[in-house]
Amino acid sequence: MELKTFTGGIHPDYRKEATAYKATEEIALPEEVVIQMRQHVGAPNEPTVSAGDRVEAGTTIGSTEAFVSAPVHASVSGEVTEISEQISFSGALVNSVTIKVDPDQPDKWTGKKNLEGITPEQIREIAKESGLVGLGGAAFPTHIKLSPPADKPIDIVIINGCECEPFLTCDHRVMLENTEDLIEGLKLMMKAVGAGKGIIGIEANKMDVVEAVESKTASESGVEVMPLEVKYPQGNEKMLIDALTGRRVPPGKLPSEVGVLVQNSGTAVALYKAASTGRPVIDRIITVSGSGIREPKNVRVRIGTRIEHVIEQCGGFVNNPEKVIMGGPMTGFAQKSLSAPTVKGTSGIVVLTGKETGESEERECVGCGKCVDACPMFLMPNSIVKYIKRNQYEKADKYGVKDCFECGCCSYVCPARIHHVGYVRIAKAELAAKK
Amino acid sequence: MNNAKGFTVSAPPHIRSEEEVSTGMRDVLIALVPLVAVSIGFFRLYAVVNLAAAVLTAVVCELVMRKIMGGKATIGDCSAIVTGVLLALLLPPVVPAWYVVIGVVIAVAIVKELMGGLGCNLFNPALFGFVSLLMLSRVWQPIVYNLGSINGVTTATPLTYIKAGALNGIRPGYWDLFFGNAGGALGEVSVIAILVGAAYLMYKGQITWHIPLSILGSVVVLSAILGANPLYMILAGGLMLGSFFMATDWVTSPDSKYVQVIYGILIGVCVVLIRLYAAPTGAVAYSILIGNAFVPLLNGLIIRKKFGESKAVA
Ligand code: SF4
Ligand code: SF4
Repeated sequence: MELKTFTGGIHPDYRKEATAYKATEEIALPEEVVIQMRQHVGAPNEPTVSAGDRVEAGTTIGSTEAFVSAPVHASVSGEVTEISEQISFSGALVNSVTIKVDPDQPDKWTGKKNLEGITPEQIREIAKESGLVGLGGAAFPTHIKLSPPADKPIDIVIINGCECEPFLTCDHRVMLENTEDLIEGLKLMMKAVGAGKGIIGIEANKMDVVEAVESKTASESGVEVMPLEVKYPQGNEKMLIDALTGRRVPPGKLPSEVGVLVQNSGTAVALYKAASTGRPVIDRIITVSGSGIREPKNVRVRIGTRIEHVIEQCGGFVNNPEKVIMGGPMTGFAQKSLSAPTVKGTSGIVVLTGKETGESEERECVGCGKCVDACPMFLMPNSIVKYIKRNQYEKADKYGVKDCFECGCCSYVCPARIHHVGYVRIAKAELAAKK
Repeated sequence: MNNAKGFTVSAPPHIRSEEEVSTGMRDVLIALVPLVAVSIGFFRLYAVVNLAAAVLTAVVCELVMRKIMGGKATIGDCSAIVTGVLLALLLPPVVPAWYVVIGVVIAVAIVKELMGGLGCNLFNPALFGFVSLLMLSRVWQPIVYNLGSINGVTTATPLTYIKAGALNGIRPGYWDLFFGNAGGALGEVSVIAILVGAAYLMYKGQITWHIPLSILGSVVVLSAILGANPLYMILAGGLMLGSFFMATDWVTSPDSKYVQVIYGILIGVCVVLIRLYAAPTGAVAYSILIGNAFVPLLNGLIIRKKFGESKAVA
């Protein structure tokens, strides 16, 4: 079978075996959860509860009138103990609601609704009410993506099942364990934007999912699964659209420019669950892996569970860990402590040892050009860094620093161990400040 | 359970490929093994002495210069050794060892380290050292043989035949050039040994075809146009070694493929013109250095087209 892909990119050591073939596990509930008011791209929510209130799992506890936003819900039943600023996975302080967890957690979302006559408007409403955001990590509010501008009709909805980050297998498990929901979720999205075609793109290291989806879509018209070469960062929207359709989103533009909507596979499953049972986003599957973890596995975690509790539930640390990363190792956030709570966009907790990080001192660029060949945006990462080091931010801008989406391919291949992404962030901040 | 020292926090990515600068340099050294072996087999002690003198000098130079300049020790990256070996390969076997030593001092101490070390140099150190020796040799002619007219331990260098346009039977044949019986500099003894090494470098992803093939292609085309024998042009002299091992030098070559091809053609054209209309000796070295000098300009002139850009302006 011919595998589709994009130009550039890298083949890191994926290390997915540790968790890919183990069924998702439930973990014990923590004593308290910390629900952050900002778990998405856009305006933060305002708490709608106060200390002392009793909440049930699924109660809306934070919302805002702002358009680009998604409400947050209590992920457990219990008592609100505190509303305060808490450290987030990115290191920023975010207003949060802390809830003391009841020992008893009844699940009330059991019945299944018939979705036959559902309208596009209703689908968007469900996405919004359930607080759905891109669960692949980008965390963009889903209902907004499902409302494309009228002048840019969408003809293809793509489900991103690449999971190209090393170590992570949560999407793999979600797709395998909820194949029907995945397909139904895609169909809801197609309906919402009026697209006639749906493609599920899956990298070829998950052929079990490809087969499962194929067997269930054989009779469906308009829905198709396409296996992709295993390559990072195939899961980036632009790369994925290019790989699957040959359409290239111009710099600075959104996928709607070329008539495509991309949604993460976990988001599709969650949308269908929300529509059919009314269950809002109160938990998600997270991959806990890396050499520093005793029992690597995929676990279902309530939103707001602190990293520390999740790691404890996976047997704790081994091998003297050096870095704890929230997200995948290519783009995730390194944690100073273990107190940050999980959010809707948390796909993984990866614990690396010093040897695994391959960290060593940055030296002068030796001009090998490997970063240039690796950059999927066709930028010149070495030139960009050269100008940033000289504080020539306009020059860096000319070389496309704003089009860099920080995939880290350049830094990964760099024999001089240059931290391109770190420099790019500095330049973006400088350029934004000058505006 | 919190780690007492705290965890390391830095920008992503949090994993890196295993490739370091030393990996690349070691691959170059491995790729040079066939050529070095053939040249030792061919020139025996002459080759051993020169190679040893070059490597030793290169290592000492780099250590001393790093101390003086106060930089970090970088000897572990092996780049100085690569420079030493390449320079020894550029020279004919009978040049005295002290001569090699001077060339390496110029290459490593001045061209590389004085410029700030690997990555900061504009010119390929080995080639610059070689060309400096060529020029100095004219000054020292009474004492030392002129490099251009040195008659190896074997015969006249094949290049002198190109200039003379000789098509008689005394020049080394194609097969001699290919398998190793050609005379000239250490590194000119066998084309096949160079190709084996080049294939290894490509397999390892340290170089790509863009630079060498655009050099060789333009040499073939231009020499055919100008009436020279294209095959002899590419097989004789240091062109093979230069194309695969020196024009492809990471630091001194362009980084995007498009610019690499332009750079290759520029070098190829210079090689033919210099060989035919000026001095055949050192033509490849001069040409690559000219190419090196144009790299900053070429890099600045041509900015890569971004992903999706071509279709945006359509
Ligand atoms: S420059 Fe940006 S987009 Fe290109 S490889 Fe580096 S991080 Fe990725
Ligand atoms: S990969 Fe690193 S050393 Fe090589 S050109 Fe890019 S920045 Fe320079």
